[in-house]
Amino acid sequence: MNDIAITSGRMNHGVDPVLHAWSWEIPLYLYLGGLVAGILFFSAFFYLRRREDVFPTAIKTAPLFTPFMLAIGLLALFLDLTHKLYFWRLYTTIRWESPMSWGAWTLMVIFPLSIIWAAFWVKDVFPRWDWKFSFIANTVNYLARFKVYFAWALIAFSAILGMYTGILLSAFNARPFWNTSILGPLFLVSGLSTGAAFILLLSKSPAERHRFSQIDSFLIGTEIFLIIHMFMGFLASTSVHIHAAEMFLGGPYTAVFWTLVVGLGLAVPLFIEIMELRGVKVPVVIPAILVLFGGLMLRFVVVDAGQSSRWLYKFMEQLVF
Amino acid sequence: MAPFFKYGFFTEQTGLIIALILGVSFGFWLERAGFGYSRKLALQFYFKDMTVLNVMFTAIVVAMLGLLLFSLFGWLDITKIYINPTYLWAQLIGGLILGVGFAIGGYCPGTSVVGAVTGHVDAYFFLGGAMFGMFVFGEMFPSLEGLYNWGAMGDVRLSDVFNISSGVVALAVVILAILFFLGGEWLENKFGKEGL
Amino acid sequence: MKEKPYWSPYVSGLGLGITLLLAFVLMGRGLGASGAMMRFTTALVDLFAHDHVMANPYFAKYAENPFSNWLVYEILGVMIGGFLSGMLAGRNKWRTGRGPNISKHKRWVYAFAGGAIMGFGARLSRGCTSGLALTGGATLAVGGWVFMFAVFAAAYATAYFVRKQWI
Repeated sequence: MNDIAITSGRMNHGVDPVLHAWSWEIPLYLYLGGLVAGILFFSAFFYLRRREDVFPTAIKTAPLFTPFMLAIGLLALFLDLTHKLYFWRLYTTIRWESPMSWGAWTLMVIFPLSIIWAAFWVKDVFPRWDWKFSFIANTVNYLARFKVYFAWALIAFSAILGMYTGILLSAFNARPFWNTSILGPLFLVSGLSTGAAFILLLSKSPAERHRFSQIDSFLIGTEIFLIIHMFMGFLASTSVHIHAAEMFLGGPYTAVFWTLVVGLGLAVPLFIEIMELRGVKVPVVIPAILVLFGGLMLRFVVVDAGQSSRWLYKFMEQLVF
Repeated sequence: MAPFFKYGFFTEQTGLIIALILGVSFGFWLERAGFGYSRKLALQFYFKDMTVLNVMFTAIVVAMLGLLLFSLFGWLDITKIYINPTYLWAQLIGGLILGVGFAIGGYCPGTSVVGAVTGHVDAYFFLGGAMFGMFVFGEMFPSLEGLYNWGAMGDVRLSDVFNISSGVVALAVVILAILFFLGGEWLENKFGKEGL
Repeated sequence: MKEKPYWSPYVSGLGLGITLLLAFVLMGRGLGASGAMMRFTTALVDLFAHDHVMANPYFAKYAENPFSNWLVYEILGVMIGGFLSGMLAGRNKWRTGRGPNISKHKRWVYAFAGGAIMGFGARLSRGCTSGLALTGGATLAVGGWVFMFAVFAAAYATAYFVRKQWI
């Protein structure tokens, strides 16, 4: 037999010298997943606290967007697959030890949950909405009796969705930049923050905007804390991890990360939102859009930088930045 | 020893972050002076509001004296500072053209950005026009190349051309600035200072 | 929120001067603005006519990645700084700067025209008031001072003809 045996991962160009398997589809999907998680979490949370009158946008309007966001995210994910026609195989098995399996099934659950949850509120937002088919209207009305259970399910699954986007990357230990357990909480907080910003963007009530500005400020502060500690963790770890962190402390990702993600995406909106809470008039659109932009850039930078980081440096010095 | 970047204290990437921070300060002070408002800028040319002159010369004097003194104390290596190369006739004619544009448009590139972010709609039109003008220049470049390089003198400073020490030139600039400030106050009072 | 008055030009000039000095001390270069604009213009044209941009020696110079260019980050900062200053003083409002004797729309036309002339002049001089006059002035570059006096002279001369716009 004339076979070429691949005896080493070093022969795979998609992995060596740097991993470049993931391009824009994965960061986009991670971002949308986090955003949806944030929106659904706040919607379910404030519903359970019976704030439907005070926070109508958060509970009713924002979730209407989530099925579409998830659909776009899933489409991006689908486009990323090499063997697209076999995607259904992800759903023929549950593997507790695989973050990807967790992710596939969480999405499998959350997608219909988000559609049903949105269906509960459609009539409140669009009073003249007509389901056209009576059986749909009947099903929605029947399920609406269990809104509370749906809300609790959403709280659980949105938290899982938000966390899992980070855990998925951090499970990939072979990329030192992703080899940190802070990535899960970081992406969760970022998802919640972008969700709050999205609600801020849509909100029409000053009380709601005020509350979500407070929530968003707190979340941005937490995010900054987590980012700083992530780097502290890298710098206290192995030399490979230090090298990964140095990509951001003088290396090729320094400018883009600290100016666009931390500066424009976190520090500036935080400052503006704090000033807003103290009475300075600012159109709330501006910090909200900056936060949404920052979250997207965070995903892109983390995915790209992670792929550039690697354990092998001896041979690669001439290729290193 | 300063300039720190040229002595390798930090990488080019960090320099880009410094660019952002310096830009924030730059934009902040421009807006504080009122340079986002085209009318305030334009009134300079009717002797009604000397802010442009005052701000520019104050900034130049501060930076110039800073450079001089730091270099004198041995803190800064003046040879590593970027000096704008002189293209005498190109810059003279370009300056005249720019002045015409300034009076008509009411902005200059940096201030128009500040104007745009603070809500001045005319700044957006100015920016659009500026980009268009730059595009036209690029398109016409092959025929303008001669003019563009006319009077190339390299990195000359006033002290080289007049053959006096930079300290004396600096003194002259400071005196000039003071004269401009005093003259400016007098002109503002004469032509009606607007409470802008 | 009531609009606060502008700060004294001397204080602002001091702030600007210190910023400029810091640029020299940290980076060994001064500030600028028109260079970044040129890059945006070139990037925009590049989207539609890449070969044309590459064929033109002037454009080709400005066509490289804008996110590795010092001036682009600086201009981003200017946007942030200007916005924050306006925000803190309650001066962020949609309006058009003009004198009492001209309409909004006429002013817009003048702004565009003036901008076009200025853009052309800025590229011919290889700089604008921030990059050439301020920076060049502080380093005592001959070009900077010649440029600055030319700008003021021409502006004063032209002002008479457009006085209806401003007063």
